[in-house]
Amino acid sequence: MPAVSFPTIEFAAFFVVVFILSWALMPHPRAWRPFILVASYVFYGWIDWRWVLLLVGSTLVNTVAAQVIARSPSQTARKRALIAAIAFDLGLLCTFKYLSFFVSQCDDALDSIGLGSPLPLMQIVLPIGISFFTFQAISYVVDVYRGETRAASLGDVAILQAFFPHLVAGPIVRANELLPQLRTPRDPRAVLAGPGLFLIVGGFIKKTVVADELARKIVDPVFNDPSSHSGLETLAAIYGFAAQIYCDFSGYTDMAIGLALLLGYQLPQNFNRPYLALSLQDFWRRWHMTLSRWLRDYLYIPLGGNRKGRAATYRNIMLTMLLGGLWHGAAWTFVIWGGIHGGAMSIERWGRARFQGFRMPAWLAWLITFHVVCLAWVFFRSPDLRTAFDMLGQVFAGGPSPLLTLPIAFLIVATVALQAVRGDFWERAETWLVTRPVVAQGIAIGAILVIGDAAVGQNGVAPFIYFQF
Amino acid sequence: MEPRRRHPLTMAAGQVLGVMVIALGIAALFNSAAMVRAGESMKRGNTRDIVLSIARPLDDFAGAVGFHLPRDGLDKAFSQQSKTGRSRLEGGSTAILRANKRKQRRQGFFQPTRQHEVNLFVTGDSEAQFVGEVLTDMLPSDLFDVSVVARNATGLTNPEFFNWEINARQEIAARHPDAVVMVIGGNDGFNVAVNGQLYGPDTPQWQLEYARRTAVVMQDLGSNGTRPVYWVPPPTARDTEFNKIFASQNKAVEQAARAVPGARYVDIYSTLNHGRYSDVLKIDGDKVLARQADGIHFSRAGAVAPARLIFRAMAKDYEALRDASN
Repeated sequence: MPAVSFPTIEFAAFFVVVFILSWALMPHPRAWRPFILVASYVFYGWIDWRWVLLLVGSTLVNTVAAQVIARSPSQTARKRALIAAIAFDLGLLCTFKYLSFFVSQCDDALDSIGLGSPLPLMQIVLPIGISFFTFQAISYVVDVYRGETRAASLGDVAILQAFFPHLVAGPIVRANELLPQLRTPRDPRAVLAGPGLFLIVGGFIKKTVVADELARKIVDPVFNDPSSHSGLETLAAIYGFAAQIYCDFSGYTDMAIGLALLLGYQLPQNFNRPYLALSLQDFWRRWHMTLSRWLRDYLYIPLGGNRKGRAATYRNIMLTMLLGGLWHGAAWTFVIWGGIHGGAMSIERWGRARFQGFRMPAWLAWLITFHVVCLAWVFFRSPDLRTAFDMLGQVFAGGPSPLLTLPIAFLIVATVALQAVRGDFWERAETWLVTRPVVAQGIAIGAILVIGDAAVGQNGVAPFIYFQF
Repeated sequence: MEPRRRHPLTMAAGQVLGVMVIALGIAALFNSAAMVRAGESMKRGNTRDIVLSIARPLDDFAGAVGFHLPRDGLDKAFSQQSKTGRSRLEGGSTAILRANKRKQRRQGFFQPTRQHEVNLFVTGDSEAQFVGEVLTDMLPSDLFDVSVVARNATGLTNPEFFNWEINARQEIAARHPDAVVMVIGGNDGFNVAVNGQLYGPDTPQWQLEYARRTAVVMQDLGSNGTRPVYWVPPPTARDTEFNKIFASQNKAVEQAARAVPGARYVDIYSTLNHGRYSDVLKIDGDKVLARQADGIHFSRAGAVAPARLIFRAMAKDYEALRDASN
């Protein structure tokens, strides 16, 4: 997937051209809008142009629905348009993401009661980013229905959905975050280059030097064959995956936010030092923040949130997290991942109500939270339930641990420890970078690109984990 | 390194462009070899031609000036594969394909015991991953210690991107395996150069050259017959063009395996589903979605089928597996 992956030669060339033309056309919105839309479609359709048709279809349906909702005086018509749009969006998602899983599960069930395997097994290609642009479309029509945003023109909705920095793996942008920015031309004399360049470089390092290195040297070998590895290696692989997925996903969104900043647009924050969380609730305020706020606003609160009593609150938390798990893919491993988070958050809430006044020491709260998150990651990373349980069973095994080297331990510890570094340190680093002469900045960033490419070596940059969702 | 909105530091768009161009220029100059590799690994087409038309002259220049040195140092620091060393992959005699007399003799290999298990190394391209994992599950764990290393997107027709001959020597020296399973071929649609002439996968010259390259790597993996090498070329593919290339590869591998001591050709092309492509295979009476969406790779459940064929091939060399393979 070279063209949709940021750290590639093709994307670098693509972005330089888009950057020049975007700023050249910025004073002319009538030219800029079609340009950025076509650029985004080229980016998305590079691998398979048919995916663009899917995206265009989603944009058309949701634009029409939003217009009906905005213009119709009848509440019934507005509600029908909303339901139709959501049904279309979820139908799209289910067809591409869940249909083959559903059919194979039914087939297995029928087979187990002696009815054979009558259903045809299917192989459906999952278009990259479909979960992200579908959730974004749902949030747009719901926001229009709730009166939280105005219905936008077809062109604006198309850009909102397709804007290439966030298209394939988020952040999940809400209409009222991007549409107002689209209405005002950006100032080419004031590009937010400090945070923009810093985020791109930081994301690149996270991905190439940390995430891919951990995947190759410890995580993949151990998860591929848990029984051949010692308990220490298994633990290192579990902690390693926690570090890998953070650096992989937050690295991608750092780059996405940085690229958007260089084009003059601000996308919402998606990570805020998640491994410092002192509770699961805190974790979800820091991890994949745009997904958790989506789940809160469009699922948890409509289900009743915490307004209908304690039991209903636990049920709503559990349902929200289970569906959040299923959003990642049709597999029991994701369901259990969501279940662990939902269960742990319910227990936290129950504990707070039951033991009011009790304050757990911060270090203990951190330790418990981090390990519950790591336990859930075991299921998230494992290809099937058997592997997940093999991993957990192997934690207590003895034997030599040649894969657990000093550099690997350092990368894992550094990933967690660096989150404790205060924000103003990074701001000073940003300031330092952006106040150097242009040539010095270019040389420094170029050197980092060389080091990052050396770190990934001949294997090349691995696809981002969240591309599969 | 999270986004912050306080104290935004701004620059003019022109200055930002300057930073990007200088940074990419530096990266291209010091990483020119990687650019060539990236270009070589792309699908044939305009993008590949453009990248290579820039990267190759740049690489020649960077090599002449000595700009490769910092990158070579970094490669060593990150323990990456050395690109130095003579390679027979890109050129050599087809004499290696002559029938070998040692091949006729019955070969005996180290047999596993509970005290000393066989160290089996499964490697190859991305197809090796699931096949290796399933094979690991199938083999008795008290007799076989299996390690799996899949090198995604690699093949024998693109040694500038990844040199399997050099890698084979390095892996054998580092791991000292008792047996090797090589699952490879899905990325080998590239033209090959023979005596300065380019040949496509639909020509007999390509097939001969592919057989020669296979034999070179087989020899290195098998250390000239001291350990068995089970070579598994690709299965049938959904795409007819790929299918033709894979058929040609299978013939080439069969030819190479006849010549190299210790080498075994494992035919998953004509044996699975009688040589006809199908997404679905019947395994142990159950219909299984055996292939991934690309119509080439096996799914994890489908990888049972090729892994069983490898198991059967191994059973001919390892007595301990014979009962289970029947």
